[in-house]
Amino acid sequence: MKNITWLLALVLFGIQFAEAQGPPITADKPIMLGGGSFTAKTLTELRHTERGNFAYVPVMLHYLPTSNSLVAIHLPYINYDIEGGPSGSSLADIKLMGKYQFFRKDGTGKTFRMVAKTLQTLPTGKELDVMDLSTGKYAGYYGIVAGYESLKYGISNEFGYNWVPDGSLDALTHKIGFGLPLLKPQYPNKQVNLYFEYTNSWLVERDWYQLLYAQGIQYARKNVTFDLAVQVPLVNDIEADRKLKYSLFLGSRYSF
Amino acid sequence: MMKKSIIVSAFLTLMIFFSAVAQEGKDRFMVQVDGLGCPFCAYGLEKKFKEFKGIKDVKIDIETGDFSFSYPSDKALSIADVEKQVEKAGYTPITAKVERANGTVEESSANEMAKKSEGTVSKNVMVAGNCAMCEARITKAAKSVKGVSAVSWDKNTKIMNVSFDMGVTSLEKIEKEVAVAGHDTKNHQAHTDDYGNLPACCKYERLSY
Repeated sequence: MKNITWLLALVLFGIQFAEAQGPPITADKPIMLGGGSFTAKTLTELRHTERGNFAYVPVMLHYLPTSNSLVAIHLPYINYDIEGGPSGSSLADIKLMGKYQFFRKDGTGKTFRMVAKTLQTLPTGKELDVMDLSTGKYAGYYGIVAGYESLKYGISNEFGYNWVPDGSLDALTHKIGFGLPLLKPQYPNKQVNLYFEYTNSWLVERDWYQLLYAQGIQYARKNVTFDLAVQVPLVNDIEADRKLKYSLFLGSRYSF
Repeated sequence: MMKKSIIVSAFLTLMIFFSAVAQEGKDRFMVQVDGLGCPFCAYGLEKKFKEFKGIKDVKIDIETGDFSFSYPSDKALSIADVEKQVEKAGYTPITAKVERANGTVEESSANEMAKKSEGTVSKNVMVAGNCAMCEARITKAAKSVKGVSAVSWDKNTKIMNVSFDMGVTSLEKIEKEVAVAGHDTKNHQAHTDDYGNLPACCKYERLSY
């Protein structure tokens, strides 16, 4: 009850001072920052499950050839410690991403955009069977990201399907994130933002379902952000001994 | 001591002189940009314009979408180039104006065409509001009406001056559009829901009818 009261207080506090916000943490965004620009990012995930602990450290480079397209490469490193199983460190699955913005509706201090997205996972990691981190399998993800950002709040929404040739990790996913700023909008940029992000994931063949909630906070200056988020399961309907306990995300990004 | 003062004075005079000369050789561009939903968007816009070597005095007001900068006049940057660059940054240019170093003023072709249209009249009407954000919303709502060529609103006097083609629209239609945006006008009260959707800083004192 005390936790709910705190959460409610944070939401109300956020709404009270809601003016503007930056990019989401665990969800994706449809807004692209101008053709010809680069963003270097990292989003370390410390994932604790009943099966073991994983530290996933990706280095990501995003490039926008035009104002409505993006290509990216994610080079991840993983440290794993599986109970009763292997432990060690290695390269995880390299990912290539492409996005194309096909709809844009702008207003004064607000915008709505839609983006088609694909994420191609290459089988460069060990076969640890840890989805999104290291599977050692090829996967193709295809989805749509839609988002509304205004000077009061931001909502990002993603729906997509992850396809794996043997079907073992085929998954339908939906992410929704709400961003609320705590500071007045200003440029040059100085922001502290709160994020409330939900991830729905259904592994079709295994019939596993997870609903995860991430509470995040972000500090942003002109072209730099620092992110911190804790993700916990609200629904954890997956195999026994595999359930997620929690994940901690630490990230930063720099645009140039 | 006297010698030092003279040197400092001469130095400052030269600085002011060169600064004035530098300003004289610059065109001042003012663009209203839609789609700046967050300060990062403003960064993306500024970064794209840094491709224009020699750009100075960049100012972006994310609440109103007002974007302005100075640029060397000898490079003869056109409004069309500026509008194209805003598009390349991923945003929408609404209006653009440049004050050239030689004193001439140019506006985006859409504005100029509208100003030259026949039957254009200029009217003043009271519109309630508080701040720069209100100003942006009021002028944008009025401009969205077909036939309106120019709009301004003064937050101190609360008077909106609007120029429009009488053969295309009327002051009543413009007032209705402004009311839909959440602002009471002399003859049209905004719906409670539209007023309620305004940000806290824009919650003006409602007009009585």
